[in-house]
Amino acid sequence: MATVTNWIEHLTTDVDTATEGVQVAGSVYPYIGSELLWVLAGVVFWLAWTFFTAAGEEEEQGKLARKKHGTNDYKNNITEW
Amino acid sequence: MTDQLGALTTIFTEFYYWITVVLMFLIHVGFCMYEVGASRYKHHQHTLMKNTMLIPLVTVTWYLFGWWLYWALPTGPGIAPSIMTESTGLVLGGGFGANELANPTNALMAVNLNDHIMGVFWAAFLLFAWTAASIVSGAVIERITTFAFGILAIAIGSVFWTIDASWGWHFDGWMLKILGYHDAYASGVIHAVCGGFALGILAVLGPRIGKFSPSGEPRNIGPRNPWLVCIGLFLIYTGFWGFYAACNIPIFDLGPEYGMEGVTFFTATNIYVTPTTLSGITMNFLLSLSGGLLAGYWISKGDPFWTYSGGLAGIIAASAGNDLYHPMQSLIIAGVGTAIAYKLHYWVERKFKIDDAVGAVAVHGYAGVVGLIICGFVLWGYPSSGYGVGSMWVGTDYAPINPLGMFIGAIIMFGVLGFLPGWILAKILHAAGKLRIPRDVELAGLDYNIMEQARKDERAVASSNR
Repeated sequence: MATVTNWIEHLTTDVDTATEGVQVAGSVYPYIGSELLWVLAGVVFWLAWTFFTAAGEEEEQGKLARKKHGTNDYKNNITEW
Repeated sequence: MTDQLGALTTIFTEFYYWITVVLMFLIHVGFCMYEVGASRYKHHQHTLMKNTMLIPLVTVTWYLFGWWLYWALPTGPGIAPSIMTESTGLVLGGGFGANELANPTNALMAVNLNDHIMGVFWAAFLLFAWTAASIVSGAVIERITTFAFGILAIAIGSVFWTIDASWGWHFDGWMLKILGYHDAYASGVIHAVCGGFALGILAVLGPRIGKFSPSGEPRNIGPRNPWLVCIGLFLIYTGFWGFYAACNIPIFDLGPEYGMEGVTFFTATNIYVTPTTLSGITMNFLLSLSGGLLAGYWISKGDPFWTYSGGLAGIIAASAGNDLYHPMQSLIIAGVGTAIAYKLHYWVERKFKIDDAVGAVAVHGYAGVVGLIICGFVLWGYPSSGYGVGSMWVGTDYAPINPLGMFIGAIIMFGVLGFLPGWILAKILHAAGKLRIPRDVELAGLDYNIMEQARKDERAVASSNR
């Protein structure tokens, strides 16, 4: 769980005597330290999208090409709405 | 942020870049409208989707590696020494020889209360990247596969324009130091490289069916919806306000950066940290738009498509030096660039049978190249970088702006990082049978299945009585 119950406690890491101030932990997102895993998940999502949409496009266009429609056939499909 | 003035400066800068991102979004809206308006009815929906999907594709890859490349390659690598050393205080972190901050696993590449700039700066550059890919998109409509375009969009949006920006835009870029390259609002860094990339693809992709007669005479396939094209181009003009602003640093104290002890001089600067003003570049932007519109109207004999495109070509031609030009110089340079781009478009079309559906190679590529070359003469002798004039630079000086350096820079942008990668990638995709849609699909129309289904739905609804 990454529940935040107290923002002051969450953001305060320590007190640096050299700068005489409270140090702020800038990152506020959950599961700090797991960035690489999220990046890898993003890469997988992107590659999967590329693969599956490419396969779908090829299949769809292959089917359409086999029907040998003429250059003006699309005019029969113009809708009125 | 511990004091009010520092906080105000930081938050102002954050908001400034955020506004530029919102404005630049309109460039993409404009490109979508423009492309759909230029395409034929039976290809409309696929044309729209092709351009729309470059948004997520370039965004994801820009996050993963595009932004990192920008910070990784300014020195070549190995072509020129870096000023990002301990002595200049510009070291931004390691990370594979680059800026660790741009590593996608770094804590600053997310919401971070200690940083207000990374995200908006990343986004401003991302919007440049979308523009880069969108420029290419229009040239190849009605016959490229969405898969191939996706690969090519990522290549130009997250790799090749990024490299040229790193070389010719980054304050540590080797082209500034060795060539004296200057390109304040991206005549070459975005426009010439994308025009060249598009031309490389078109040389392999081939023309749309029917574009050329059996004897090789080009036929005009004009825009099917000129009003949509016009509104699209107006939106692109509007987005370019954001584009120009995003190329500036909004508030900067030149005194200490230029080694002037005790001097405080706040100004805006261009991306090279040389001074300009948002006010001045606003005049230049409008005069270069005007020069392009006037020249486009004149040379095309009042053709709306080329008049509007001329406005864009004018801005692009003058952009390299619009941080410093006099407004009347912007006007004339824009007019000259537009006229040359128009003439070259038809000469290349006829000579090499290149079917550039929206004139993207001319408007962005040729106008960009012409703008770079002219800039080398008009700004001859000006410093190419703010870091060349002061204490920040402790090694060899940056070369001043000069005609030869700008000419070589134009070749690098259009040819080396534009045409060549586009041609090679298109060749690879063509060899794999993935570049062009089947001939029968092109004849039937990319939207045939969607339209057929819509017609069936319409009939079903029209015939129902309950």
